[in-house]
Amino acid sequence: MFHKILIANRGEIALRVLRACRTLGIEAVVAYSEADRESLPVQLADEAICIGPADARRSYLSAPAVISAAIVTGCDAIHPGYGFLSEDEGFAEVVRAHDLTFIGPPANVLDRFSNKESTRRLLGSLGLPTIPGSNGILRDDAHALEEGERVGYPLLIKPAAGGGGKGMRMVRTPRELEASLNVCRSEARSAFGDDSLYLEKWLDETRHVEVQVAVDHYGRGIHLGERDCSVQRRHQKILEEGPTPALSPEARNDLCTRAVRAVVSAGYENVGTLEFLVDRDGNFYFIEINCRIQVEHPVTEMLTGIDLVTTQIRIAAGEPLGYSQADVVTRGHAIEFRINAEDPAREFRPAAGVVERYLAPGGPGVRMDSHLYAGYEVPPFYDSLLGKLIVWAPTRQAAIERSQVALGELIVDGLVTNIPIHQALLASEAFLEGRMTTNLLDRVGSSAFLAAAARS
Amino acid sequence: MPADRRPSAQRSGRAAARGGEPAGSSPERSVADRAADHAAIDRLADELLPALIAKLSASGLGEIEVGEGPWTVRVRRPADAAGQHNRRSTDRPSRAQPGHAGHGHPPGGFEGHRSARETRPVAGAGAAQASSNGSGPAGTTGAAPAGRGGRGTGTDPDAHRAIATSPAVGIFQPRAEAKTGTRVRSGDRLGAVDVLGVPQEVVAPADGIVGASLVEPGQAVEYGQELIVIELAAARAAERAGEASEA
Repeated sequence: MFHKILIANRGEIALRVLRACRTLGIEAVVAYSEADRESLPVQLADEAICIGPADARRSYLSAPAVISAAIVTGCDAIHPGYGFLSEDEGFAEVVRAHDLTFIGPPANVLDRFSNKESTRRLLGSLGLPTIPGSNGILRDDAHALEEGERVGYPLLIKPAAGGGGKGMRMVRTPRELEASLNVCRSEARSAFGDDSLYLEKWLDETRHVEVQVAVDHYGRGIHLGERDCSVQRRHQKILEEGPTPALSPEARNDLCTRAVRAVVSAGYENVGTLEFLVDRDGNFYFIEINCRIQVEHPVTEMLTGIDLVTTQIRIAAGEPLGYSQADVVTRGHAIEFRINAEDPAREFRPAAGVVERYLAPGGPGVRMDSHLYAGYEVPPFYDSLLGKLIVWAPTRQAAIERSQVALGELIVDGLVTNIPIHQALLASEAFLEGRMTTNLLDRVGSSAFLAAAARS
Repeated sequence: MPADRRPSAQRSGRAAARGGEPAGSSPERSVADRAADHAAIDRLADELLPALIAKLSASGLGEIEVGEGPWTVRVRRPADAAGQHNRRSTDRPSRAQPGHAGHGHPPGGFEGHRSARETRPVAGAGAAQASSNGSGPAGTTGAAPAGRGGRGTGTDPDAHRAIATSPAVGIFQPRAEAKTGTRVRSGDRLGAVDVLGVPQEVVAPADGIVGASLVEPGQAVEYGQELIVIELAAARAAERAGEASEA
């Protein structure tokens, strides 16, 4: 096991990792930027070290700064948290070259899963359904029309090098496809320096369901159930729950079993998440794998009672998993609310400022993962996540009732937060009936949700 | 600039009387006299002042005064500086806790970074407590680490010194040519912080004279850590003297 771990992240996840280190009896050093000097993880840490200025490129994203900090503080491993350097195979490789351990998949594993397209092909060949689409890159317009006919309309044109929705376009007919190809090519070229396109079947009204897996160094893998992350605003998850209300217990088990089987065969290692889109008929399609601990991991922890961060650290240290699939039992229902410093009434604009008062809710099944304290100044340089409220109860209905109480208790004064949108969701029929799809919030509009909640 | 912090080089009245000259700068003083004075100030600034600053920095004394011929040179440490720049993270309180045995630093390990428990107001609070404790034994105020000024550490610590800070997290190595007492200009290299084998330059933040080193050669330092004091006042006094001599 490790002797001392450098935590190369900030906010609530730095605190979460610090707690995991303490649980395991491992010393921890929190690496922080100048903007986070007064942050809670820095204050609670046994040791803390400033690695750079507020600009993340020169602190949390600087591989030399992070690795140098680990070396001079005598650490033997680095926990990257999520975001920042957490899935950077180049970083993982440099960490290894300095005789330190990257807490996550080894560099060669990260490398294997770094390209989304080849990962889809790999896991597709190992039994996971993927979204039907063109066979590789479109050679020219004629090839595009041919492939479009084969896959079937409506279609999504996607840039091969892409991400973030740039250069993507939905087309309903061959005529629209032909008309859009050149526009998409030029958008892709200017955004990514590469104008290769491919086609994907357009899936309407989908749900986002993801499977949590853990695979040890010896190829022993388990799944820890799934999470439903369909409540999204502009592709950002804001509420996650488990189990998914979209699938029957049999379908869930089938999805999770196939996911873990495929990922073990592909040589994955450590904790990870396989993301799927689920259509109205319950068909699921693999879209991507996240090779890190995720923001929403506490949903799974509440359902299974398994500490995912200590699991991640133990696997990175070469320990065997220590439990089998039969030992993983999910109980009840859990919902996580991301509490963000943003204003739902003003297009979710991010807010920064001083937390004047902070009160975390309590009671049975209520967990608050947050780095807030009264007097803390939220810096404007990073993401807007203030914390996560996770609520567990034996049933979904009971979890919703507990959540209403907990959200009502939560006090964050001094900043505008998105708490009202969560309260509105808990009052909306679509959520209460488990019918949320990934585009619903954007289609209906957050203001409509807020207005509906105000009426009820 | 507050007068109490300015290193002063002045002709003492006693010396002036002995020399049979009128005290102060009277209009009767000859051009040659003034030129001689300027030359003397120049020489003292160049030769004596750096040595005195070095001595003051190393000694922990509050003030040093020496007489040389008709001249008296006095260098005084700013009121609250003595305890301040040494009270960084090196003085971090022990983190030994029940069940946390073995949390000490490894030999040669990192010492400079900030302890989480160390919060800046501590020194100020301590000083305030000491000075407000009127029933305490005489001398309490004088013994407070904040010194005679009794100032909180929240105020601008010192306008007469600049501090070269670390540009990165790594191992600090000073430059041999930039030892205490050396006159430097803003941007001059004082040393480097080694980050995974790549040196990052530590540069003088202002014109001045190299004062105390706040870290040891080979010590691990964090980003922004204070490394070397640059005494500005000395340089300014010397410069003023230099300008005066050219006038």
